[in-house]
Amino acid sequence: MASIELHDLTKHYKQGATTVKAVDGINLEIEAGEFVSIVGRSGSGKTTTLDLLGLLLRPSSGQITLDGMDTGKLRDGARADLRGKKIGFVFQDFNLLPGLNAIENVMLPLRYHKNGKDGKARAAALLDEVGLKDRMHHRPDQMSGGEQQRVAIARSLINRPSLVLGDEPTGEVDSETSQQIVALMRRMNREYGVTFVLVTHDMDVAAQTDRVIRLNDGKVLSDVRATGDQKFLTGADLQGVIA
Amino acid sequence: MEIIRNLTRRKLRNILTISGIVIGVLALVTMGAMAEKFNALLAGGATYFGSNVQVADSSGGAIGAFGGGLLTLDRVAALEQVDGVAAAFPDVSVTAKPGSTNTVSFGIPDYVSNLDPRANDYSAVKLQIAQGRTLTTSSTGDVVLGSDFATEFKKNVGDTIDLPIRAKDAPPDFVNHGFTVVGILAKTQTAPDSGAYVSLTDAQMLLKETLPASIRNSIDTTKLVNGATVYGKPGVDLDKLADKINAEVPGVKATKPSVLVASFNAGGAIFTAITTGAALIALVVGGLSVINTMLMAVTERVREIGLKKAVGAKVGHILREYLLEAVLIGGIGGGIGLLLGWGLTSLINAATASSNLTLFLLSWRLVIVAILFSVGLGAIAGIIPALRASRMDPVRALRAA
Repeated sequence: MASIELHDLTKHYKQGATTVKAVDGINLEIEAGEFVSIVGRSGSGKTTTLDLLGLLLRPSSGQITLDGMDTGKLRDGARADLRGKKIGFVFQDFNLLPGLNAIENVMLPLRYHKNGKDGKARAAALLDEVGLKDRMHHRPDQMSGGEQQRVAIARSLINRPSLVLGDEPTGEVDSETSQQIVALMRRMNREYGVTFVLVTHDMDVAAQTDRVIRLNDGKVLSDVRATGDQKFLTGADLQGVIA
Repeated sequence: MEIIRNLTRRKLRNILTISGIVIGVLALVTMGAMAEKFNALLAGGATYFGSNVQVADSSGGAIGAFGGGLLTLDRVAALEQVDGVAAAFPDVSVTAKPGSTNTVSFGIPDYVSNLDPRANDYSAVKLQIAQGRTLTTSSTGDVVLGSDFATEFKKNVGDTIDLPIRAKDAPPDFVNHGFTVVGILAKTQTAPDSGAYVSLTDAQMLLKETLPASIRNSIDTTKLVNGATVYGKPGVDLDKLADKINAEVPGVKATKPSVLVASFNAGGAIFTAITTGAALIALVVGGLSVINTMLMAVTERVREIGLKKAVGAKVGHILREYLLEAVLIGGIGGGIGLLLGWGLTSLINAATASSNLTLFLLSWRLVIVAILFSVGLGAIAGIIPALRASRMDPVRALRAA
């Protein structure tokens, strides 16, 4: 059974007299532990798909199943619970709380969903793992973009989620830092077996993932996997995808 | 922790908002303390005069001790014969500062009165001795001072005091007498604080000296008193007892306690209205500024709210965080306002103590009201901003510019 299943998923918005079909019938299965990117032009529906996957939005129709659970029937409170326990988020502009230092930011999800008594130790271990052992008590405004995003990655993993969603996670950092961020997420993906789904328009980032799903006008245009022994997709694989 | 740091993120704005509440609570505390003092004064009067029947000469006022015609001691004896009367005590009272300019007084002017220690067994207002001892029934030359009276003239047990007090522009024939302070009463917050108590004989001597010289020596003042205080036996209705006295004892006028109590309570209502007014102003001004501040905070932190929702915060979590922040603003403002109010009322009370004026009484009741008020104000003012924050759509909040 796949970790994530999307069946005939749609999300339509009314915008004045017209209906915008942001997501228009997506069927996808993502296995546990996959490292996936979703690409597409702006307006292709990739961000809306991510919001639907993250249970931040309710679909107009269709079904989202997480770890075998149909999320459509859940009330808002239960969806918040599920977000807190199973889903981590990494955003383009980090979204750290400016009033909290690094370790407090990492522990923020625990405020809403206690998960064992070792929260602080786990947060410290995660910060150590993302290379910020010496920055634990720094505030976001005392850290570089790359450091802030690493704090955000640690935060996304604090509740031992099964899925981490990245919304343009490298959009605000330079290319070298971008490489490090993706490499870090890749390492976390391997180490913890957490599924990563990254929305990006950066083909260098997409090229480092195992599977590239391209959306256009709210539909899946292509879905390419790294084949055989290949660790990463090659330029040739992506030729038609990127176009 | 985060809430406290949030407050420091917009220091000036939060200081201004807190200042608004400080001013409101300061107003509430000072006005309230003034009302508490006045109400305590009135409540003491209502308690005292509700527990006995005041009897005066039939041509006199309601309370014999405060002016009116004189009563003879045999009338007092006659009162004790009325069925239902437990005891009747003669009252003699003269002003302690004759001739002093005393146009408007917030409190009770200083007075010298007789005190029969046995009256304590009957009265609802029990006089407690704080220092020294009380009077004996036969003592002369001894005085027990009310607490404010002692403070005003800086007297301790063992000191002597000349009564009545000589005014600066006293007439040449003014006489007074030296008394030894044998005791000082515990503070009552009401009338007895302004009194000096002597024996009946001494009080009658002072009464005699207040009479015009032309008649002073032609009457026997040892038989005269200003009025009488009558205590009923347990279970006796005092209003009915007053009627009975009027019917059975000629030449006296007994006033129903309910009439006196009602007039005291009417005075208290005015001050309660003033306090309520101050509280309402504090509520409106402080409340609006807390709402404004919190709405701005919510607007500024839209993305933080979106993030918290994304990582699993429910409506209740966000609601609680923002309500708590508003309550904290209210509580800090209330705490500072209360401290300032306490300081201000204490300073003014200390400054006016030497002129027999206690303006403020900062009661525990008022302290609790001020704290609950400021915290409640924060909570109520925080509801709208907190609801707005908690109901925010996470996607829109996260992608907000």
